[in-house]
Amino acid sequence: MSASGWAQTFVVAEYEVRRYLRGRRLLGMLLLLALIIGLILGLPPALGLDYASSPNLFVASFTNFSSLLIVLSGVLFASDALVSEHEKRTGYFLFPNPVRREVLVLGKLAASVLTSFAVVTLYYGAASGAALVVTGGLTWEIWLSYLYALAYTVCVVGIAFLLSASLKTTVSATVLTFFLFTLIFGIVQGVLSLADVDPWFIPSAAAGIIGNVVAPSVGFGQGPGNGFGLSFVPEVPTSLLVFAGYFVVGSLLAVLLFRRRELTA
Amino acid sequence: MPMSRNPPGESPRGPVVLEGVGKEYGKFTALKALTLSVADGTSLGFLGPNGAGKSTTIKIMTNLIRPSRGRATLFGIDVQREPTRALQRVGAVIETPEFYGYLSPIETLAYAGRLRGMPRKEIEARSQTVLKEVKLSTWSDHRIQEFSKGMKQRLAIAQALLHEPDLLILDEPTSGLDPRGMAEVRDVIRSLKREGRTIFMSSHLLGEVEEVCDEIALLNHGTLIVSGSMRELSRRPGVSVLKATFLQPLSEAAWETLRGLPHVEEVNPASDGSVDVRIAGGEEVQASVLESIIRAGLRVTSFHATGSPLEHLYLEHIDESDHL
Repeated sequence: MSASGWAQTFVVAEYEVRRYLRGRRLLGMLLLLALIIGLILGLPPALGLDYASSPNLFVASFTNFSSLLIVLSGVLFASDALVSEHEKRTGYFLFPNPVRREVLVLGKLAASVLTSFAVVTLYYGAASGAALVVTGGLTWEIWLSYLYALAYTVCVVGIAFLLSASLKTTVSATVLTFFLFTLIFGIVQGVLSLADVDPWFIPSAAAGIIGNVVAPSVGFGQGPGNGFGLSFVPEVPTSLLVFAGYFVVGSLLAVLLFRRRELTA
Repeated sequence: MPMSRNPPGESPRGPVVLEGVGKEYGKFTALKALTLSVADGTSLGFLGPNGAGKSTTIKIMTNLIRPSRGRATLFGIDVQREPTRALQRVGAVIETPEFYGYLSPIETLAYAGRLRGMPRKEIEARSQTVLKEVKLSTWSDHRIQEFSKGMKQRLAIAQALLHEPDLLILDEPTSGLDPRGMAEVRDVIRSLKREGRTIFMSSHLLGEVEEVCDEIALLNHGTLIVSGSMRELSRRPGVSVLKATFLQPLSEAAWETLRGLPHVEEVNPASDGSVDVRIAGGEEVQASVLESIIRAGLRVTSFHATGSPLEHLYLEHIDESDHL
């Protein structure tokens, strides 16, 4: 009697998703989503302003918050996925089962990606629906922005898993994931720009493609000098490769670290 | 007699074989080079003071930590090389595990069962059986976040029994349970033993080990001090304390006679009017001391060993300073 690795991965993912559904995190995330959507749609009429008339510009007000939303998804649905098994001692139940550690990582990774995808999809669904009602149309660029957002989500989850496998407490993994994307990458990006180095390999810089595709603020690939380089956005293929690279390297390192980590708590 | 449960084509080795297993945490040696094997159908009590290396051994056996040296095999399969195969026929309770608070016991058992590839119907049937066995049936649908430590310990035992394992590895299985719960868990372990399953159980409770186990291994400072069958070890020459009651209070001369008898190390009056006689030796020596007392003309009304043989063995090998 033995389950295949894929069957075990599916079971782990299923129970992780159940964890998010039953916990308060998903509810909190949905409330935040509702708040952002409500503010974007409610503030212009309240202030006597008109909505943007083109679908792209209308959705651009949503894409301004996409990156933050994705980072929050990574923080809530990925950053403690591995470290909590050690810190909260649930590993004493899970690990003596005949299941490989890489299977556990894969299952949890799949659950984190799918849950974060659901949040992003809901957000873009609301944005697209509103755009359709207000402007009467949708564009291909909106779809592209959505796909780029999904790609960035995968990147964030990969890095969050690496931190989750490396750090000792859920608090440190959660806090570091959040500040890495919202602060530390920004600082590095700024410093690199001052040194005339294109920060194309910084995920938060690459995430510029999500908004740029609907409302280009700077030309793709423009280098330092545009707003101290903070608005630098790499070319789309470069950004997608950066996302893929961080996800693959982050996930692989997470698997290796999780396999090696001993349960001594 | 327990049946051999080795699958065809697999080396017919014991369910547990530890070969020179050692573990270092930095400069601290938790386990030196433990060599120990447990035969099929045997229940082994793994004893030792805190910090002796018991939990380290059990964690190596269940792939929670890697050994610094040596090899642990379960049913002839190396735990570190092929953990999934090695743990297939094993049920384990290690410390008091935490469970996912958002799940109920029935969902937790379904999780463990599905990871093991058990069919859904079998999971359902076995879950009901094991939850009943550990007296958690009425709580089967409640979220575990409401549970006490004792209830979690019962659930831990239930999940270890779910797939009817051939080998049970239990680390302090009655920890956190009330006296009734302890007795119930001991009953469960005894019934598993009767079914011919192999049990590897660490415990601080010597009485519990005496009741349940037929072999023991005593560990201290990461080294195996003594191992063997309970019966053999209780017959070993060692230090025993015997309680003797005499028909009349002993005179000064009688005390001197007692102190001078062969094998008698120490004689002390007990608070209940009896006499504690400390002797060096096992059951043979006990018999010869009794004969000597009678030959010396002292009229004995009762004569029996105090404490259990296992307790004496433990106290003989573990100093007070060893208890962390």
